[in-house]
Amino acid sequence: MTLYKPDSFDTTSISFDRVALRYDGTQDVFSDVSFELTKGSFTFLTGNSGAGKTSLLKLIYLALRPSAGDIYLFGQRTHHLKRRQLSALRRRIGIIFQEFRLLDHLSAYENAALPLRIRGQKERDYRPDVEELLRWVGLGKRLHARPATLSGGEKQRIAIARALVNKPDLLIADEPTGNVDPEMSLRLMRLFAELNKRMGTSVLMATHDKALLGSVPGSVLTLHNGLIVKQNVAEES
Amino acid sequence: MAQAAEKRRESPLLPMSDTRESALFFVIAALCFLAVLTAFSVRATYSAAEGWTANVEGELTARLSGSDAARMEEALGLIRSVDRVQTAKALTRAEAEALLQPWFGTQSLPDSLPLPSLIAITTEPGTQNIGPDIKRALAEIGLEAEIDDHAKWAENIRDMLTLIRLIAMGIVALLASIAIAVIAFATHAALLARREIVDVLHITGAEDQFIAKLFERRFSLLGFQAGLLGALLALGFAISLAFFAGRMTDWVWLLPSIALDRWALMIMLVSALLAGLVARGAARLTVTLALGRMS
Repeated sequence: MTLYKPDSFDTTSISFDRVALRYDGTQDVFSDVSFELTKGSFTFLTGNSGAGKTSLLKLIYLALRPSAGDIYLFGQRTHHLKRRQLSALRRRIGIIFQEFRLLDHLSAYENAALPLRIRGQKERDYRPDVEELLRWVGLGKRLHARPATLSGGEKQRIAIARALVNKPDLLIADEPTGNVDPEMSLRLMRLFAELNKRMGTSVLMATHDKALLGSVPGSVLTLHNGLIVKQNVAEES
Repeated sequence: MAQAAEKRRESPLLPMSDTRESALFFVIAALCFLAVLTAFSVRATYSAAEGWTANVEGELTARLSGSDAARMEEALGLIRSVDRVQTAKALTRAEAEALLQPWFGTQSLPDSLPLPSLIAITTEPGTQNIGPDIKRALAEIGLEAEIDDHAKWAENIRDMLTLIRLIAMGIVALLASIAIAVIAFATHAALLARREIVDVLHITGAEDQFIAKLFERRFSLLGFQAGLLGALLALGFAISLAFFAGRMTDWVWLLPSIALDRWALMIMLVSALLAGLVARGAARLTVTLALGRMS
């Protein structure tokens, strides 16, 4: 196990340089975090509950601003970016939340197609791709079902389809297996690994499930006492 | 499946209206109702007052002191010769008594009661300030006359119209500011109620402008529909009021009348459009400011 040092931006998706985060009137969530994730890498983010995993992910998808330090996404320093530029960066990131965060008034198909609709693409242009993607995640027969009528696993797969539909450069998943059964959990991990391997998408997955850490070859970032430690892991046989 | 999907319309990104929006619809409709009613009242009053002043502005009354029939004839001839005078007619004793009826009643006045010699004069339309000319001409032949050209009365009416117009503008401005405040409040409430949707749109890459436009479209349509309804209700109310007032009084000619002409339609349409624009602007401003405060 070695403390991680920042490296070149050329091949990185994410780079944290001495980042600190403090919510108003509270102690630091973390005070001096530096790490780099290379393009096409598969990385697990782990740590105890309350260690700051979700906060760190929020910093990456620009829902939070750091109290100190610099964050680089795809080689761009995010600190001084305008809101419009932040939106453009977010479009390069697919995010899967533990609690899905689907829009209840939209169908499975409409939820999955949301990033394309936001980009102003015509429905007739993206429809075949979205339907194929939903079939790929096993929801080909539930295209027009509302989230309220779907199981946790099905909702999670819609969230995955929504995260992937834009063909993102970086996929962030916050405890994606937290609400699904072990079989679905395994299927999702295979899906992420395939995506990482076939499309070269960088994957950063937060999990507290240590059993998942060896399921895909990659590295592990561990948040502990406000510091981060990186460790490479090989796939378990 | 593809065909079925093709037939489906895309759901709006903001859920359909909720009870808050119904309340906002009612408030905007009520505000527009009051604004259109105010505009109608001002216009009708203005038209009526124009009529009152137009009626009296072309008329003058000359009151001669100590004149007999011969001098009266002389005066009539002289007045008729004054430039821009159309007619000059001496009032008979009966006509003069009729003028005094409101003060002395319907019984004939005693013959011994002297009545002033009155001449009713009409002038060409648009003639102003002719009274001193007539008075001067009569003085030249030794006749002393008082000329009442109703100018003071017409001036008071005009002052009153200016005041009414200013008050109406104040009322409309006040109603517009109430509408802006209410819409801003409602938009903010709608934004907070849909914070989860806004967050999801943000993290999936939507720009502030995209999100603001969703709210703009929703609230401008709501504003226009509510404004149109309020304007139609105001029209109905004004017509009913004019109808019933006309049946309840003999002095109907004094009452402002409502005409369903192109101006009335313009007032209604402009009010509805303004309501939509105000709603759109208030929603845009509120959402843009609120999004700026979000991360």
